[in-house]
Amino acid sequence: MQRRDFLSWLLKSAYAVLGLGCVATLPYLYRGGNEDIKTFFVKTVDEDDLPRRGVKEVEFPFRGLTHKAFIVRKNTDLFVLSPICSHLGCSVNWNFVNNEFDCPCHGGRYDMSGHVIGGPPPKPLTRLPYVIKDGFFYIGIRA
Amino acid sequence: MSQNGNKKAFYPDYLPFVLVAALIAVEAIIASALLFPPRIGPAIDLTAPYQPKPEWYFLWIYQLLRYFPGSWAIFGTVLLPALLILSFIFMPYIDRGPRGRKKSLLVGIVLFTSLAVLTLIPVLTGR
Amino acid sequence: MIRRIINLLDRWFGTKEAHRNFLARALPGKIGVSYCLGGMAFTAFLVSVLTGLLLSIYYVPSGTEAYPSIVTLHNEVWFGWGIRSIHKWSANFLIIFVALHAVRVFLHKAYRPPRELNWMAGALGFVLIMASGFTGYLLPWDQKAYWATVVGTSMAKTVPGAGGLLVRLLRGGPEVAGATLVRFYSMHVLWIPFGLMLIFWTHFHMVKRQGISGGL
Repeated sequence: MQRRDFLSWLLKSAYAVLGLGCVATLPYLYRGGNEDIKTFFVKTVDEDDLPRRGVKEVEFPFRGLTHKAFIVRKNTDLFVLSPICSHLGCSVNWNFVNNEFDCPCHGGRYDMSGHVIGGPPPKPLTRLPYVIKDGFFYIGIRA
Repeated sequence: MSQNGNKKAFYPDYLPFVLVAALIAVEAIIASALLFPPRIGPAIDLTAPYQPKPEWYFLWIYQLLRYFPGSWAIFGTVLLPALLILSFIFMPYIDRGPRGRKKSLLVGIVLFTSLAVLTLIPVLTGR
Repeated sequence: MIRRIINLLDRWFGTKEAHRNFLARALPGKIGVSYCLGGMAFTAFLVSVLTGLLLSIYYVPSGTEAYPSIVTLHNEVWFGWGIRSIHKWSANFLIIFVALHAVRVFLHKAYRPPRELNWMAGALGFVLIMASGFTGYLLPWDQKAYWATVVGTSMAKTVPGAGGLLVRLLRGGPEVAGATLVRFYSMHVLWIPFGLMLIFWTHFHMVKRQGISGGL
C-alpha cells in the first residue's frame, strides 16, 4: 500500500501546484507593465483671458478627446479645479446662479473652492497644477 | 398536492404549449424592437453637461448610491447590493428549520419591495 | 422530413434514448402558464445570442472605431438598426422573464431541497445576465455608455484598501478607455455567454433528474 499512498500524495501535490499556478496567473488580468503616470502640461488659454474673479470653464484637447477644467480666481487666489466628481467620477458643472459646482449624477455639490457642501462626495474637487509660460496658461493632467 | 393528481408527460402533453409560449416570446421581442428602435447616442464628449442613466434594471442601484454620502458610500456601492444578491442566491438556506418558510418569505418580500421602490423613485421623479 | 432527420440522428448518436427521460418525464397534472416562463427566458436568451452573432459581423471593439462602426451598422447596413433593436429588446425581455420565473419558483417553494442547487444555479445565471447587461451597455461607446461605465466602475473604488486595484482591474487601466472597451467586449461576447451556457446546461439537467415541483 505504500506505493499507492505515494502515488496519491504525488497526485495531490500535482493538483496543488496546478491550482497555485492558476492563482499565480491572475495578475495577467491586471494590465501592469510600465504605464507610469506622469503629469502632462497642456496649453489652454491666453494669460490675458484668465478670469479676474469667479470661475471660468476651459476646454482643451488631450489624447484625442476634449477635456475641461475650471480656472477659479477667488480673492487673490488662482487655482484650477478638476471637473471629476470625487464621488463616482461624473463631470461637474458650474452653476452660476447658486455659485456652486453641481454633479448631475447623484446630486453632489461643491462650493467655489471645491469643498463639498452637499450630496454624497467624500472629498473636495481635485486641484490641478498649472504653470504660466510665454503668456499661456498650462494645466497639468495626470495620465 | 400533485401526488394524487393525474400525472402527464412533458411530451406529448406539454411540449406544444411550451413551444407556443416560446413563439409568443419571440414575437413580443420582435414587435417591441420594430416599434421602439434604439437611437444612436451622441459621441463621447467630456465637456458637455451630461447625466448618465443606467438601464432600467440597474436603476435601483443608481438610486441607492444617493443615500450614502462620504465614507458611507461603500454601503450603497458594494455592501447592500452584495447582501441583496447573496440572500437571493442562498434563499434555500434561509428557508431552514420549522419557521424557514416565514423567514424566506420575509427576505423575499423585503428584497422585492426594496427593488421595486428603488426602481420606481427615479422613474417617477425623472431624476 | 423532420422525422427522417430525427431518425438519422438517432441511428448515429442514439438521441432518442438520451432524451427519453427529458421528454417523457412525468409532470404534475395541473400546471399553469407561469411554468412556461423559464422556457420563455431561454428563448429570449437564444434570440440575444443569434442577434449578438449578427452584430459581431460589423462591430469593431476599439476605442476609435466602435462608435463609427455602430453608426454604420445602424444607418447603412440593411436592417442593421433592426438587429440592434432586437438584441436590445431580447435583453430587456430576458431580464423580465428570468425575474418572473424566479418569482414563480419562489412562490411555489420549488427552491427547497432537493432543488436547492438548481435555485442557486439559476440565481447565479441571473447575476451573469445582469453583468452581461452592464458590459453590453458600454459597447456602443457613446456618451451614455461612457459615463455609465465611469460611474459603474468607480463604485469599486469605494472598497477600502483594495478599491484602487479593483478599479484598474475592471478598467484595464487608470481611466475608462479603449482598454476598458476591449475588456468589456471580451466579457460580453465570450466569458459571460460561455458561463451562462454551462449554467443553463446544469439547470436543465437538474430539471430532467428532479422533475418539476408540484407547486403550492
